[in-house]
Amino acid sequence: MSARDRILARVRSAATAEGDRGAAVATRLAGNAQTAPIPAQGKSEGAARIDQFESKLKGVDATVSRIASAADLPNALAEELRRRNLPKAIRFGSDPMFASADWKDIETSTGPGRLEEPATLSRAAHGVAETGTLALTSGPDNPVTLTFLGETHFVVIRARDIDGGFEEMWARFREIGADPRTVNLVTGPSRSADIGQKLQLGAHGPVALHVFIIEDE
Amino acid sequence: MSHAPTTPRFKQNSKDALANVNIQAALSAARTGFVDKRAKATKTVPEFDALRDAARDLKNHVLGHLDLYLEEYEKNVLAAGGHVHWAETAEDCRAIVLDICRKAGAKTVNKGKTMISEECGINDHLAENGIKPVETDLGEYIIQLRGETPSHIIAPAVHVTVPEVRDDFRKHHTHLPADRNLDGLDTLLAEARTVLRQKYFEAEVGITGANMLVAETGQSVIVTNEGNGDLSQSLPKVHIVLASLEKIVPTLEDATTILRVLARSATGQEMSVYTTFSSGPRRAEDPDGPEEYHVVLLDNGRTNMLGTEFQDMLRCIRCGACMNHCPVYQSIGGHAYGWVYPGPMGAVLTPSLIGVEDGGQLPNASTFCGRCESVCPMRIPLPKMMRHWREREFEKRLTPGTVRWGLGLWAFFARRPALYRIGTRLGMAALRLMAGRKGRLAKLPLAGGWTDHRDFPKPEGATFMAQYKGGRK
Repeated sequence: MSARDRILARVRSAATAEGDRGAAVATRLAGNAQTAPIPAQGKSEGAARIDQFESKLKGVDATVSRIASAADLPNALAEELRRRNLPKAIRFGSDPMFASADWKDIETSTGPGRLEEPATLSRAAHGVAETGTLALTSGPDNPVTLTFLGETHFVVIRARDIDGGFEEMWARFREIGADPRTVNLVTGPSRSADIGQKLQLGAHGPVALHVFIIEDE
Repeated sequence: MSHAPTTPRFKQNSKDALANVNIQAALSAARTGFVDKRAKATKTVPEFDALRDAARDLKNHVLGHLDLYLEEYEKNVLAAGGHVHWAETAEDCRAIVLDICRKAGAKTVNKGKTMISEECGINDHLAENGIKPVETDLGEYIIQLRGETPSHIIAPAVHVTVPEVRDDFRKHHTHLPADRNLDGLDTLLAEARTVLRQKYFEAEVGITGANMLVAETGQSVIVTNEGNGDLSQSLPKVHIVLASLEKIVPTLEDATTILRVLARSATGQEMSVYTTFSSGPRRAEDPDGPEEYHVVLLDNGRTNMLGTEFQDMLRCIRCGACMNHCPVYQSIGGHAYGWVYPGPMGAVLTPSLIGVEDGGQLPNASTFCGRCESVCPMRIPLPKMMRHWREREFEKRLTPGTVRWGLGLWAFFARRPALYRIGTRLGMAALRLMAGRKGRLAKLPLAGGWTDHRDFPKPEGATFMAQYKGGRK
């Protein structure tokens, strides 16, 4: 017998659940057994939802600005880079929204994160108003390492991609059959309280997180 | 780092910790922070207690069907191109990890925070075999420099003071100018960030733990605030996930329920900064991510807890709330417990994993005040399980002779109520006489353990039974 078989045999002989265990598991996995409560703060709708998303983000030390359309992104980004005294350069993945944008005098580069990345840009596939969380899904359009290596991380999200709560987001994942290798839920810039129990931003990941909400459509 | 358990020396460890000025300074700085933050965070969600009930029920469901969920999980990891390794013991786990590292030609291994690694002694084993483990969680990094083990499951360096960190950085970061300014906390953080950033790009293998394993999708989930776990698992060629097998949850919705109670209970956040779901190695079109993805499922005594009075302990999600609220932990810190898991959850888990012979002292390190159970997000009856361990310790005759003698004496009277009542009346009268007009006792025979530290109050009024009969309840 292998270690696997011995472990599973021990688990099986100790199993306390009654009835048809296989059926109980199948039902649960089929996803129609939502038994846990969804907090009221995970059920906001419409404009209140976008406002809640923004205020929750600010509550976790992120900054937020709203832009009318994707065409406004280069100007808005240039302004943020200037305000933060950052070089006029940005790195992102192959997301069509970025590939088709007119970046003017911002120097752009594409690909995964490198050792020194003053500013990176990602596109969040989803947002969750419940906690001000961004959901980034991995792939060529969105390299995972840009999320963690950028000293200042900029994230773009369309207002219509913001969900009320997590259940809504998972339902949308299932609906479109999204199956990325990695789903990164990001709620604020990196932080640590490991030195003297004093919370500081920018432990290993970004020191600052700025979110652009695109309000069109 | 992992060291042989010093749990059997718990009493001496505690005395040493109480007398250690640095530990006491660090503990008093941490004491109220965690407690206040959790209290505030749980109040903002009216559904918090209902979420705790749901989290408890979901984990009970998993434990009752664990074999089936493990098979489903394994199937989905394999489908995503990952590997699953089953480890019955810590020794198996060490061998599996070393083998993967060797095949990857690893010289350096980056570590995200994993308590399973501490439990299995992975770092020492890798180092003995010529592979350098580098802890990347800031707290873990600090204690690795110091050659220590974590003293808290989510704040591993909570016992280290700022001046000590400063000294450690000067001693170990010798490539930096000796006269550099390290006064501010921000300069310390910036230095650690720069030193570790380089190391992320050097390692061939990254090892992380897992807060959860999702059966439905075959994903491992890590929850961090620093981002170190993600850099450790995204940059090296090989990612190894170390997880104990009870970490399974059925679906993404179930994972969400756990997330809703985890961060609030641990650090008082609504969500930790980074929650990452990973499945398998990088896909053909992916520009980053590991080329190999391995999961080691560790048993190490856990299956023996299933179906026993200790099964409920397997619901634990390692938030640390029990130790943050424990008056014993708050006084002695984590190292005194002598093994990987401190505080109330450690007092229950340690004897399960290393045996009651070595770990049996820990369940006695409780006043049974019940705060641990009252804050546990998974509603684990920690005091009840500590009592079970005390019973087992007594049955195995591991309890010290004086305690057994005292318990025997008490039992003799407890079975003879009339004698018991006479005894308590006489005892109270004697104590009152001894206390005299001062109203308290500075010394008491056989009770030095109490009176050495504080006075014993003079008994007031009548005995409980006398009051009870008198109609006062």
